[in-house]
Amino acid sequence: MVGWEGTIALENRAAVALEDTLERSAQGDQWAFAEIVRQHQGMVFGLACHFLRDRSLAEELSQEVFLNLYQNLRSIKSPAHLTFWLRKVTSHRCIDQARRQKVRPQVSLEDVPEPFTRATENDLLLSELLRRVVDTLTEKARMVVILRYQEDLEPAEIAKVLDMPVNTVKSHLRRSLSILRDKLSRTLGEVTS
Amino acid sequence: MSRLDDELRIAFRREQPSTEFTDRVLKQIARQPAPRVRWWRTLAALFQPPKLRWVAIGATAALLVAIGAAQYARLHPTVITDNGKVAETQPPEASGTAGGVKTPDSAPEAPAPKLEPKPHRNIHRLMTVSNRTRNNVRPGDRVVNPEAEAAKEKVMLALYITNTMLSDAQRAISDADKPQR
Repeated sequence: MVGWEGTIALENRAAVALEDTLERSAQGDQWAFAEIVRQHQGMVFGLACHFLRDRSLAEELSQEVFLNLYQNLRSIKSPAHLTFWLRKVTSHRCIDQARRQKVRPQVSLEDVPEPFTRATENDLLLSELLRRVVDTLTEKARMVVILRYQEDLEPAEIAKVLDMPVNTVKSHLRRSLSILRDKLSRTLGEVTS
Repeated sequence: MSRLDDELRIAFRREQPSTEFTDRVLKQIARQPAPRVRWWRTLAALFQPPKLRWVAIGATAALLVAIGAAQYARLHPTVITDNGKVAETQPPEASGTAGGVKTPDSAPEAPAPKLEPKPHRNIHRLMTVSNRTRNNVRPGDRVVNPEAEAAKEKVMLALYITNTMLSDAQRAISDADKPQR
């Protein structure tokens, strides 16, 4: 099989395999659970790491999320439900953690330093600058931006994950992008849309 | 799609934890009691898409064999006495009575036993007896059909084979999906 037919067949096989893995891990198969962890750790750890900006704290939180998943495996109905569940639990835990420990860096938007050099595509400095500007946003707005750009979710999906109205998500996104453009336009004229 | 969107996607792409992350999660899980699997969840799992096909095939095969056996037993009944002897059922014409009515061959001084079926606690009808042979059954007799017994054995064997095949198939699927170590 070649082309899109082959791709669809592979995707179907992967979906069936994932369903089977989920079923086996719900029956106590630890190898199957390890497979689930390996497949989703990038998503969970990525969300936590971008939000908390601390790798060890993010690993600790991700570990707790997977332990929580293990205890609630029986309530997971499908691979899609699993992904939704992980995003939701991770997001809420990150927001709680940030509020509890005041992890959010105490820097204001004005304190974010300008890059020394003019950034080019895929420039690490530009990525770092963007992350630092996002750090200055409120917890919910930050998580909205991370879910939008790390997980490529639509506002309606973000609203479901964060239990908030779609319009609130849209306004968070609009305001955050406006702040990012303002900040970046001072240093990178071409970044504005 | 603006360049800002692209830059944000690059800045917030997924990140991987340290290499021993999965092992640490598994170690923590090993310290916890395994989640208990309830019998109804196992039963419900049989009706989920990957297994449903095999369950349906097995159930249909078992049902067909059972219906066939039941039909066979209904058409070929025999009577077995309490001391274990199998008495082949005879048509009512040969037994001298028909439906409890005395025939001309019967001796007038020897009254025919009352064959009218009445409820009796010692009568065990193991198989359905057709109207034609019902009058040959005496109270205390057990109605058994050797062919039915044989058919029952076949059903049990068929079910056993189906069960074995399903188990093998499930094991093969599990082995194929098990992560390579």
